[in-house]
Amino acid sequence: MRNDRLLAALAGLVGLALIAVGVIYIALNEHDIPSFFPGHVSHPASHHHVKHGIAAILLGLACLAFAWFRTGPRHRAVSRA
Amino acid sequence: MLIVATADRLITYFQAVVIGLLQGITELFPISSLGHAVILPKLLGWNLNQDKPYFLAFLVATHLATAIVLFLFFLPEWVRILRGLGRSLRDREIAPGDADARLAWLLVVGTIPAGLIGLLFEHKLRSLFANPKAAAVFLAVNGLILFAAEYLRRRAPGADERARELERAPQSETSPEAEKRLATLGFREAVGVGTAQAGALFPGISRAGITMGGSLFVGLTHEDAARYAFLLATPIIGAAALLKLPDLIGSGGDGVRLQALVGALCAGAAAWVSVKFLMRYFQSNTLTPFAVYCLFAGLAALLVFVF
Repeated sequence: MRNDRLLAALAGLVGLALIAVGVIYIALNEHDIPSFFPGHVSHPASHHHVKHGIAAILLGLACLAFAWFRTGPRHRAVSRA
Repeated sequence: MLIVATADRLITYFQAVVIGLLQGITELFPISSLGHAVILPKLLGWNLNQDKPYFLAFLVATHLATAIVLFLFFLPEWVRILRGLGRSLRDREIAPGDADARLAWLLVVGTIPAGLIGLLFEHKLRSLFANPKAAAVFLAVNGLILFAAEYLRRRAPGADERARELERAPQSETSPEAEKRLATLGFREAVGVGTAQAGALFPGISRAGITMGGSLFVGLTHEDAARYAFLLATPIIGAAALLKLPDLIGSGGDGVRLQALVGALCAGAAAWVSVKFLMRYFQSNTLTPFAVYCLFAGLAALLVFVF
């Protein structure tokens, strides 16, 4: 039961983090994004990595959906049993 | 002669009609739309620069039209699938026997990997391989893939049992029955078939062909494989077109919007006729004729381009 909840919580956190990363990619240009993000450039630029952002948001939504189903009634019933 | 725009932006209405019809047909037939879009203009001697914003804007319109037509053709299915998706989200589970909800999530997990690969690598692959010689080679490879799909039919673990079970089940052509048959796919199989769609990023490899091949491998019939391929293709073609819609609306579309509209209408009409034909064709026929066509067309085009 603990493992199940832990997994769901982890998926939820990762999902939220990925959505935040996606928003950063879309909102900031490739120079202003954090330097550890793939696609960062050191010189001033105006290009936004929109595709990276959409990919991160999609993955984030997938993680949230996983967490949502993981805490659904069937999994709770199985955990209780 | 109906030529619009400057020498730099040259798409005639005749070219718009031909490319639109070509897109509508080849997107749904398992013979690669991208491959034909690269090869045919070169064979016809058309001086179209396919990397220029105006041409990309034109393609956005034809792809959007194809996606809309696919969505409308399977509208009753999509309504049930979206309701199933809503039910499962509300109940936080896919209820046993809820084929619509299961099919909805099979399509979601099948779309995500191809979508991600497309988002991250589409531009790099296009710039590497979108030339007529490479497209001709990949078109021939697509023929071999289709041959392999027929040869490897029902070879996946458990596929033969599923195929026998499905044969015993009522073979009604109504879509709710077909959805029940599609919903027998496992999630791992859906991810595998969905990921295979990414092969279509190589010009010459057909999305419909590779998806149908994967579906045949795991035990679906040709008709169900075609239905699954079209359902799986709709969100990804539509999303790719919507993502690039600013190219058409923005300055990239200047001078080609009317041609794009003509091309989109032709693509939509061709897509409607194609999907109607193919759903009937695959009730009793196989991928083999398309495999033969791709192999010979690819090799012939390669010979023309090399010599």
